[in-house]
Amino acid sequence: MVSKIRPPRRGLNGADVDFHTTWGILETAFREIHTKNASALSFEELYRNAYKIVLKKKGEELYNRVAHFEEQWLGTNVRSGIVKTLSAPLMLTDGAGRTLATTNERREAGEKFLKSLKQAWEDHQVCMGMLTDVLMYMDRVYCTDHHQPSIFAKSMGLFRDQILRTPVRQGAPTLLEILTRIILDQIQMDRDGESIDQFLIKSNVYMLEGLYQSNQEVEDAKLYLKPFEREFLRQSAEFYRDEGERLLKESDAGTYCRHAKRRIDEENDRCRSTLSESTTPKIQAVVEDELIRNKMKGLIEMESGVAFMVDNDKLHELSLVFDLEARVDPRKPELTKAMQKIIAEMGTNINNAAIAVSESAPQTELAPAEDQPEEGKTKGAPAKAINQQTVAALKWVEEILTLKDRFDNICKHSFVADQTVSTAINRSMADVINAFSRGSEYISLFIDDNMKRGIKDKSEAEVDATLEKSILVLRYLSDKDIFETYYKKHLCKRLLLKKSQSVEVEKQMISRMKIELGNSFTLKLEAMFKDMTLSEELSNGYRNHVAGMNEGADSRRAELSIKVLTSMTWPLEAFRSGTDGGEQEGGGGRTQIIYPPSILRVKEGFERFYSQKYSGRKLTWQNNMGDADLKARFPNSRHAVHDVNCSTYAMLILLLFNELPTNASATLEEIEARTNIPLDDLKRNLQSLAVAPKTRFLIKEPMSRDINAGDRFKWNSEYNSKFLRIKVGVVSAGNKVEGDRERKETEKKNNDSRGFAIEAAVVRIMKQRKELAHAQLLTETITQLTHQFRPDVNMIKKRVESLIEREYLERVEEAPVPSYRYLA
Amino acid sequence: MAASPDYVTLVSSDDFTFVVQRSSACISPAVKRMLDPLNGFLEAKTNTVRFDNISGMVLEKVCEYFYYNEKNEGARDVTDIDFPTELCLELLMAADYLDV
Repeated sequence: MVSKIRPPRRGLNGADVDFHTTWGILETAFREIHTKNASALSFEELYRNAYKIVLKKKGEELYNRVAHFEEQWLGTNVRSGIVKTLSAPLMLTDGAGRTLATTNERREAGEKFLKSLKQAWEDHQVCMGMLTDVLMYMDRVYCTDHHQPSIFAKSMGLFRDQILRTPVRQGAPTLLEILTRIILDQIQMDRDGESIDQFLIKSNVYMLEGLYQSNQEVEDAKLYLKPFEREFLRQSAEFYRDEGERLLKESDAGTYCRHAKRRIDEENDRCRSTLSESTTPKIQAVVEDELIRNKMKGLIEMESGVAFMVDNDKLHELSLVFDLEARVDPRKPELTKAMQKIIAEMGTNINNAAIAVSESAPQTELAPAEDQPEEGKTKGAPAKAINQQTVAALKWVEEILTLKDRFDNICKHSFVADQTVSTAINRSMADVINAFSRGSEYISLFIDDNMKRGIKDKSEAEVDATLEKSILVLRYLSDKDIFETYYKKHLCKRLLLKKSQSVEVEKQMISRMKIELGNSFTLKLEAMFKDMTLSEELSNGYRNHVAGMNEGADSRRAELSIKVLTSMTWPLEAFRSGTDGGEQEGGGGRTQIIYPPSILRVKEGFERFYSQKYSGRKLTWQNNMGDADLKARFPNSRHAVHDVNCSTYAMLILLLFNELPTNASATLEEIEARTNIPLDDLKRNLQSLAVAPKTRFLIKEPMSRDINAGDRFKWNSEYNSKFLRIKVGVVSAGNKVEGDRERKETEKKNNDSRGFAIEAAVVRIMKQRKELAHAQLLTETITQLTHQFRPDVNMIKKRVESLIEREYLERVEEAPVPSYRYLA
Repeated sequence: MAASPDYVTLVSSDDFTFVVQRSSACISPAVKRMLDPLNGFLEAKTNTVRFDNISGMVLEKVCEYFYYNEKNEGARDVTDIDFPTELCLELLMAADYLDV
């Protein structure tokens, strides 16, 4: 086999190659190439020559010769050409400062320099490309084997050393330094709004990007990155720091934002068109740092800063601020903080305004709820004051809602509905609402007012919006249990006194609350509605029952519409005047009202009917809550018969006078004795019947505002009214802001119920866990209760104590941290 | 021997000429660079490359390889090209020279 292989011909081996001749050929050829005269050269011949030299193991010599040749060429021919372009204006800028040459001169000279440098670089590249091609074999064989940089890389290094790194003269800066300065100078001109040859600079930047610090071509040691980019960033930082400070002083926040935005875009463009893309993030960071991060606080707190923008609804400017801050920090701490502060301020203003309004009527506080009998019809001074409080409540809610709307709007339009900012805003809203101690009450009042009056002539959509708004505020409220108490109370009054405009809407509201706050919250409210429906059925049933019995076919028989209420679900004490609530607890202590026979019959009839239907249930009559329609005849009135609507007690009193002979009078004590109406209620009812001018059915002696012991009352036969229907003001009919004492009571009750809730939660948790550390128990309890209210840590501690006392829990003695154990 | 841009002429040391597709010939980096119009050497102008150290026989085989390589580019399980044993060494040298 081996014998068959033809030995290679001698010529190919090139044993006769003489290095010096061959190199001579190559050198001449290279010179031709550098002077752009390559078309007469045969690539193959040069290639073959280089090939031969390398084959003769003269690769190293060839390599060095080529390198030396290039060095010579660059050092003499190329450099001198470039140095020549360094004209006077450029050199003058060296040490003495820029002002020596006008911008224009500087620009032109700079461009000339850049052009020549660019030309030299491009030529060098092309020639070296060709050389590399010719010396390909050397690169492939010699350089790889001897771990030398390719001849191309080597020559690039030579270019760097010979052209860029060599000082122009002794002691003068190197071309690289001059180049850097010129480019930066040009960029500065660009920033100042003058036009420059971006493409030219870009080419030079390309050159810097193509060169490396050392002959090892490490990616992050590009000539561009090290001296040039660093210098560029430093100068930019300086420039923008100054500019930012100047702008902060000179212009308003909106302009500043716009300017900063423009600068950032400009730098972006500049990197694309003039410098290198890789600089973009870095210069961005610089501009952001200088113009935004370090200035944000100042910007926001400027006179024309965020507060000003919010005040004047400058949505666009706000969105600019937002964009800027979003650039530097996704959490936007400054803006968030500023917004929170503004909300807190505005909220506090609203809260204070509400408090001021409610306190501007101090006389009401003296007489809470007891002697404003005619809240709706006759606007006595105290009633007005109470109204004022209610108005304050409504105003508070409205303002809170406006505030919320406003910031939602800002958030949506300016902050692209950003999560963090809107969370912060929400949190501040919640803080504002919860900072107001009467918040729960006021919200409930707001709903109450809307239910009673607000939703009258409103379309469904509007009603919906109102409900939605209420829920919105409610969502922020942390003491939801207090709200529940108030709402129950208010709802109760609305239902019993038929003040509600639409049961439909009430139910809607409840279902909304259910969605928002959960089942347990609305349980009792729903039960109230159920009672109402049941009662209606019951009343109808009874009416039919009476009709069926045809008992005496008595047309004079009083009709009865009854409401049977489950005592647990209804906050009936709301109707009791605060003073004697305690005494009236429990049916036993209740004084027996004496009914006139006609009423008594009806009452007993219903009791019989009810116990037939539901045996074993006890009915307690809440006379103080009922009302009655009477037909009354006044001899001197315009109308023969008036329809009078009054409370049950008032009815009893009036019926009493029916039985008395005309002109006979009765003292307060007599009336009390004959009706057994509790004194307080009696006084209040008599006041509406005998004092209020429009419903003065009785004449009192002596004539005075207050009902005192010994006062005498008699039938007012002179009564005259142009109205056919007369409504006697019902005691504490409206839902008003509570008086101080009432509030204290509500609070106390609330605290009690919170206590129970806490205990229940603690027991639930402990039952599950059996043993738990104190801190953990606290956290879990708070988590469980947080949707109802914000539990007080001290209260929890107290409750735990009491649970230990009652032996539900015990302390674990040997535990390292204080712990409890559940005792089943 | 009109050389269209798509075809180039390769000339061996003993004056055999081979007209081959440019794309095929450029499989060899050396040939590719010789013909690169950007560099503007003589070869690029005339579209002709003269190899003074490769014989006609070897160059034929080289051209055959150019086509063979281009045809089977990326394909798998191709039949090996058939080389006469006696040309082996010279072919190896040419291959080294042309960097294929």
